[in-house]
Amino acid sequence: MNKIFALTGVVIKELYRRKDFYVLFVLTAVLTLAAGAVNFFHDEKIVRYVKDICLLLIWISSLVIAIVTTARQIPAEREARTIFPLLAKPVSRGQVIAGKFLGCWLATGMALVVFYFFFAVITGSKEQSWPVLTYFQAAWMQWLLLGIVIALVLLGSIYFAAPSSTSTISFVVVISILLVGSHLHVIALQQPEPMQTVLTFVYYIMPHLEWFYLSDFVVYDFGHVPLLKIIAATLYAAVWTGILLLLAWLGFRRKNLTT
Amino acid sequence: MSAILQTQKLRVEYRTRELRQPVKIALTGLDLEVRAGEVFGFLGPNGAGKTTTMNVLLGFVPPTSGAASLFGIDVRQPIARQRIGYLPEMTYYYKFLSAEELLRFYAKIFGLARAEADRRIDQLLKLVELESARKRPIKSYSKGMQQRVGLAQALLNNPDLLILDEPTSGLDPLGRMKVREIIQRLKNEGKTVFFSSHELGEVETICDRVAIVHQGDLKAVGTVAEISAGHPNLEQAFLKIVGFQSAHAS
Amino acid sequence: MKISPFTVLLTLLALAFTLALGLAQDAAGWSQRGKSGNVLGMMFGDGRKLLANQFFTMADVYFHSGYYPSVFDNKAGQEDEPKAIVAATRGHEGHDHETGDKKCEKCEECGSFLGQPKDWIDAFGRNFKIAQHTHLEHGKEREMLPWLRLAADLDPQKIDTYTVGAFYLRNHLKHVNQAEAFLREGLRNNPDSCEILFELGRLYRESSHDLDRARNVWELGVRKFLARSPAEQKENRLVFEELVVNLGHLEDEAGNYGQAINWFHAAQKVSPNPAVLQKQIDEIQKKLAALLPVGPAKLY
Repeated sequence: MNKIFALTGVVIKELYRRKDFYVLFVLTAVLTLAAGAVNFFHDEKIVRYVKDICLLLIWISSLVIAIVTTARQIPAEREARTIFPLLAKPVSRGQVIAGKFLGCWLATGMALVVFYFFFAVITGSKEQSWPVLTYFQAAWMQWLLLGIVIALVLLGSIYFAAPSSTSTISFVVVISILLVGSHLHVIALQQPEPMQTVLTFVYYIMPHLEWFYLSDFVVYDFGHVPLLKIIAATLYAAVWTGILLLLAWLGFRRKNLTT
Repeated sequence: MSAILQTQKLRVEYRTRELRQPVKIALTGLDLEVRAGEVFGFLGPNGAGKTTTMNVLLGFVPPTSGAASLFGIDVRQPIARQRIGYLPEMTYYYKFLSAEELLRFYAKIFGLARAEADRRIDQLLKLVELESARKRPIKSYSKGMQQRVGLAQALLNNPDLLILDEPTSGLDPLGRMKVREIIQRLKNEGKTVFFSSHELGEVETICDRVAIVHQGDLKAVGTVAEISAGHPNLEQAFLKIVGFQSAHAS
Repeated sequence: MKISPFTVLLTLLALAFTLALGLAQDAAGWSQRGKSGNVLGMMFGDGRKLLANQFFTMADVYFHSGYYPSVFDNKAGQEDEPKAIVAATRGHEGHDHETGDKKCEKCEECGSFLGQPKDWIDAFGRNFKIAQHTHLEHGKEREMLPWLRLAADLDPQKIDTYTVGAFYLRNHLKHVNQAEAFLREGLRNNPDSCEILFELGRLYRESSHDLDRARNVWELGVRKFLARSPAEQKENRLVFEELVVNLGHLEDEAGNYGQAINWFHAAQKVSPNPAVLQKQIDEIQKKLAALLPVGPAKLY
C-alpha cells in the first residue's frame, strides 16, 4: 500500500504545482461573484441563480480537472519516459494504476472541498443558512462520479496514446451519459430494430452517472436523499470504478511500453 | 560464483501494427549469465537486441518465450527488481519534483524506512554533488545535473545489481570519469554491474566479462582477453564477430 | 535595397488604418449585431431570441423547483411547458401545489411526465432527482426573476416576459413599483402591446387602487386592439375579452353602470360563454334601473 500512496503523492504534487486548478478556481470565483453582484429588481434575497451558476461552474471545473489530470498520467509517463525508471523499481503495473487512480481521485477531492467551501461561504452569506448535509451529499456524490470518470479516463489512456484524444472522448462519453443516460430506454423505444435492442442493452450496462448529479437538491433547497440510497449509490460507484480499473489494469499489464 | 542475472532461450518478437508486416524478431533465444560481483559489458551494434534484453530484464517488455530472472526470481515479479538499480541512457524524471522529492518518492517505492531514506538521500546527493540544488525543481537543472540525479536514484536502494544503459553517452569527460569511478567503487564493494555501451575502450578497461550480441543472437561471451585473443584489440574482435569487413581489415 | 522591419511595420499599420477608414462606413451595414442596443444583443446576435426563450423556460423550471420534463419526456402537446407561469398570471392556476415534501394530489397531470418507473434503474434514479411537482410560494417566487430579467434583455419583444415578471413582482412579492417599471419598460419596447397594457391596468386597479389610470390604460389597450388587422384580432381575442370584461367590472365598481354594460356587451361578442356575461349585465341593469331608468348606449 505504501507504494500506491507514494505514487498518489506524486500525482497530488503534480496537480497543485500545475496552474490548472488555480485558473479554474479563480474563474469559478470571479464568475460567481460577478453573478452574485448583479441586482435584479432591487431584491437582495434572490440567491438560487447564484447557486445554480456556481454549482455548474464547479461541475465543469471538477470534470476538467479530473479528466485532464487523469488523461495525461500514463501517456505523459510514456512520452517523458519516466515510466521506465519507475517500473525498474519493485512496483507492479497494477500498483501504478492504483496509485494513479488514487492520486487523481484524492486530488480532485481536495479541489472539490475548496470549491464547495467557496460555494458554502458565498451562498451562506446570502441565504444565512448552511444545509450542511445537503451540501455534503452533493459533494460526496460528485466525488463518487469523478471516481468513475477517473477510472474511465485511466482506461482510455491505456489505449489512446494522446491525452487530448483521451480527454475529448471522455468528455463526450461523460456528458452524453449525464444528458441522456436516464432517457436512453425511452429513446430506444422510438428506434427501429436492431437499434432498439442495442440502445436498451447500452442503457442497462452503462454506468448511470446521472444519479450522482444532486445539484438540483442544493439549488432548490429540496432536502436530502435518504441515507440508504446514498449508500447504495456509493456501492454502485465502487463497483463501476472497480470494473473500469480492472479493465485498465488488464490492458496495461501486458502492454509493451517501448513501442 | 552464483548467477545473479540469467536468461534462458529468451525470445522476443514485436508485432507491428501495420497489416501484412512481418513479425520482427528482436531476440532469437538468448542464453546469458552474469555472476555475482562481476562487471559485465553487453555489446552489440545498433538493433542487435541489447535494449530489448534490458527491457525484458526490467519488466518493460514481456518475453515471447524463454525465461529471464534476477537473483533467481522471474523478472515478471516486481520483487525481482528490489535489489537492482537502473540508470537509463537518457534522464527521464518528474520535472516538477526536486531531486530530494524524487529520491524520497523512489525510497518509498523501495520501502525504505524514513530514517534510512534520509541518510541515503543525504549521502547520494553529496556523492553526485547536488546538495546545494536538492530543493530546486528538476526542470531547472542542467543536463549534467539531471544525469547525476539519475545516478543517485539508481544507487538509492544500495543495489546488488546495477543495470546501466549506455551510462556515459552524452556525458562530458568529467561525467564519464565520475561514472567509471562509481562503477569501479561498486565493483570493489562486491556489487554486480551489467551495462551496455558502444564505448569499447571503456568496456575494455572496466569489464571482467563481455557478451556480444548481433541480430538477436549471442555471438560471443567471455573475458576481454578471451574475446580479444587473436585480434589487436577488443574493437577489432568486435568488428570481426559482427561481420564488419573494413577496407583496412580486408 | 535594404528595408528596415520597422518601415514594413509602419507601412502595414498605415495601410490597416487607411483600409479601416475606408471600410468603416460599409462595414456598419454588414451585421445587425453591432447595432444592438445592449451587450447581450451584441454578443449573441439573432441567437439571443433562442436564448431568451430558454431563460423564460428556466424561470418556469425554477417555478417548479427543478421538476421539469426534458425534451425526452415531452410528448405531443406538452412541448409548450412554460405556459404554467403564464397561466398563473391570468388566475388560471387551477389548483394549488404544495412546496416541501407533500405531493400534489389534486390533479392527474401533476407528475404525469414521469409516469410509473419503467425499470429498476429508472425507479432507483428517481431518488436522485426532484420527482415532486411543486410550485414556488411564500416569496420564493423571487428566484424566477433573474431569468425573466435576462430573457427581457435578450428579447425585448417577448411580451410574456414582462407580464409574467410584473405579475409575480406585484402579486407575490409586493414590489409594485418594480412591477410597474418592468411593464413600462416592456411598453417602451412594445408600444402596441395590449397584453402589457392589460397587466399595467391590473396593477393600477388591484395594487394602486387607481381606477382612473387603470381605465386609461385599458381603454388604450382596447384602442390598440381595434387598430390591429382582423386576422390579428381573431388571433388575440382573449386579451380583448380580458380588457373589456375588466373595464366592465371597473365601471361597475365606479358606479358608471351604463358604461359597464357597454363593455360587457362588447365582451359578449368575443366570449365563448356570453350567457355568463349576460347575467352580469342583468345585475348591473337592476342597479341602473334603481338609479336611472335609461338604456345604455351602444359601443359599436
